[in-house]
Amino acid sequence: MNLFTSFVLLTLLILFTPIMVSNTDPHKNNKYQSYVKNIVFCAFITSLIPAMMYLHTNQETLISNWHWITIQTLKLTLSFKMDYFSLMFMPVALFITWSIMEFSMWYMHSDPYINQFFKYLLLFLITMLILVTANNLFQLFIGWEGVGIMSFLLIGWWFGRTDANTAALQAILYNRIGDIGLLASMAWFLSNMNTWDLQQIFMLNQNPLNFPLMGLVLAAAGKSAQFGLHPWLPSAMEGPTPVSALLHSSTMVVAGIFLLVRFYPLMENNKLIQTVTLCLGAITTLFTAICALTQNDIKKIIAFSTSSQLGLMMVTIGLNQPYLAFLHICTHAFFKAMLFLCSGSIIHNLNNEQDIRKMGGLFKALPFTTTALIIGCLALTGMPFLTGFYSKDPIIEAATSSYTNAWALLLTLTATSLTAVYSTRIIFFALLGQPRFPPSTTINENNPLLINPIKRLLIGSIFAGFILSNSIPPVITPLMTMPLHLKLTALTMTTLGFIIAFEINLDTQNLKYTHPSNPFKFSTLLGYFPTIMHRLPPHLDLSMSQKLATSLLDLTWLETTLPKTTALIQLKASTLTSNQQGLIKLYFLSFLITITLSMILFNCPE
Amino acid sequence: MTLIHMNVLMAFSMSLVGLLMYRSHLMSALLCLEGMMLSLFVLAALTILNSHFTLANMMPIILLVFAACEAAIGLALLVMVSNTYGTDYVQSLNLLQC
Repeated sequence: MNLFTSFVLLTLLILFTPIMVSNTDPHKNNKYQSYVKNIVFCAFITSLIPAMMYLHTNQETLISNWHWITIQTLKLTLSFKMDYFSLMFMPVALFITWSIMEFSMWYMHSDPYINQFFKYLLLFLITMLILVTANNLFQLFIGWEGVGIMSFLLIGWWFGRTDANTAALQAILYNRIGDIGLLASMAWFLSNMNTWDLQQIFMLNQNPLNFPLMGLVLAAAGKSAQFGLHPWLPSAMEGPTPVSALLHSSTMVVAGIFLLVRFYPLMENNKLIQTVTLCLGAITTLFTAICALTQNDIKKIIAFSTSSQLGLMMVTIGLNQPYLAFLHICTHAFFKAMLFLCSGSIIHNLNNEQDIRKMGGLFKALPFTTTALIIGCLALTGMPFLTGFYSKDPIIEAATSSYTNAWALLLTLTATSLTAVYSTRIIFFALLGQPRFPPSTTINENNPLLINPIKRLLIGSIFAGFILSNSIPPVITPLMTMPLHLKLTALTMTTLGFIIAFEINLDTQNLKYTHPSNPFKFSTLLGYFPTIMHRLPPHLDLSMSQKLATSLLDLTWLETTLPKTTALIQLKASTLTSNQQGLIKLYFLSFLITITLSMILFNCPE
Repeated sequence: MTLIHMNVLMAFSMSLVGLLMYRSHLMSALLCLEGMMLSLFVLAALTILNSHFTLANMMPIILLVFAACEAAIGLALLVMVSNTYGTDYVQSLNLLQC
């Protein structure tokens, strides 16, 4: 009897403590921030112990605590599933949240509501962990909605700005469309398998599972910003940089992919769903990489990069490799969070300048941030033996050597080289060359609250891939042999992208701007998707419903059909047929005389 | 019993004559219509209760309902005439305008 389950529950319980002291003294003063940061650090250490135990014994656990309600034959309890995915994700998420909280102590230093900010971040972390450790779909739905709500509150943190409010509402709407899919799947599971528990669902694996799996794919597309439901992710950059680093790069947006990874026993036999996810992921990754090429806001470029990597994770699920997708989730979190932290450092040091056309020459001014940014970009593109290599290269290898859709594979490879292109663009415009910003800002990165988180994530970006790949238990047989040209595919595409981008940037550095060409306009305006989809369908929907409700129901059926028609017919008939003069009293008098006469005539016996 | 019948029938014929021979106000015609309806209701109710003709118990009530509707329409017409001319004298209703 070991303390495995106790440590898991202790991790989750530790995180509730700062919320419970909300109304008392610690919440009101300056110590709250370090308090929350240290709590998250303690939770991280506590979560490492069950993770190490799992790596040692490969023993999964299911904690079933409190029986909430039984509705006829459906039993709902509070149950936590501690398997490979949740036990590996918890330390990663807690480590990254710890680093981001320390960073936001520097970034949001002058914000008067900073304690509330930390509380919101902590609430988000708790709901994300509820989602990850959920064993039944009801608990997962609680976590799912929780991260959606916290995303809304955090994107609209500076609620005085209309763009922030619009972006928060946009996030909620697009996530809601995905929630329809999740609810439909839950309803199907309830009515066909009589349960919401994952164990029973996997055991009763019936054959035609297309409907619930399509629902789950829709939910993942909504939450993980796949093509068609993607515009909310770049708009979500209206929130503060710590929010972008935590929610929209490492943690929340992978919830959709995590859901599909959880349900992999159902997906490994369903070719249709695998093809759908493969094609959807391929379109997403290429489309968002194209859009990232010509953006000018550094946070938007990194947001599109996140979207592209999410498409890559979707492609991996479509290749029937859930474990590779999960490994990419964990490694991607490190370098993406670090990229956002570096961009936050640059933004704050340049006095809130986010346009890369107005940055430059930071190579000598911010050396540490420069180092971290370059290493982050290299890890993102999959430079050999950095973190990204250990997850991205096996994905490309699996894609090139499996019996899959060649078109999807081509799109993915193109997106891989475009990753290198926009990474070069960031490095070139933000760091190299001569400064293009006004020289009156004091550039200082010497604060330990800024340096330490980036340092930790830097070490993670370099070594985490290696450590994770060598520690995880093997679950499927990796592919051992392949032709040399397939093995070198990813490296070749990336190097090609780097070289082309660098050459073009150097050659066109001093040329004059011309009129934008059509592909340029396509890329800058995000493929015209928000322009079309945010104006045309709402206008059509609202005008159609107004016509149905007002014109058809109110005016026509209730008003015109009977009352007005009857009045009109009477009017027309009386004008047509009458030639009277309206001598009412004469007519009444003659009627009376006629009645009296007839009564006398027919009643007298003579 | 026949005395009661004759009593109510006299009331009915009084109202009928009043309806057919009114002098100047439209309101008196409406009042006589109401009187006719009332006497019909009493006559029908007495006869049906006296002969225990349960099947026709509904008839006076339905008659009452339709008479109420008709009174409402009559009053609406009166209000329209009064709005146009200020009074309800029937001499002013000499233009059959459509």
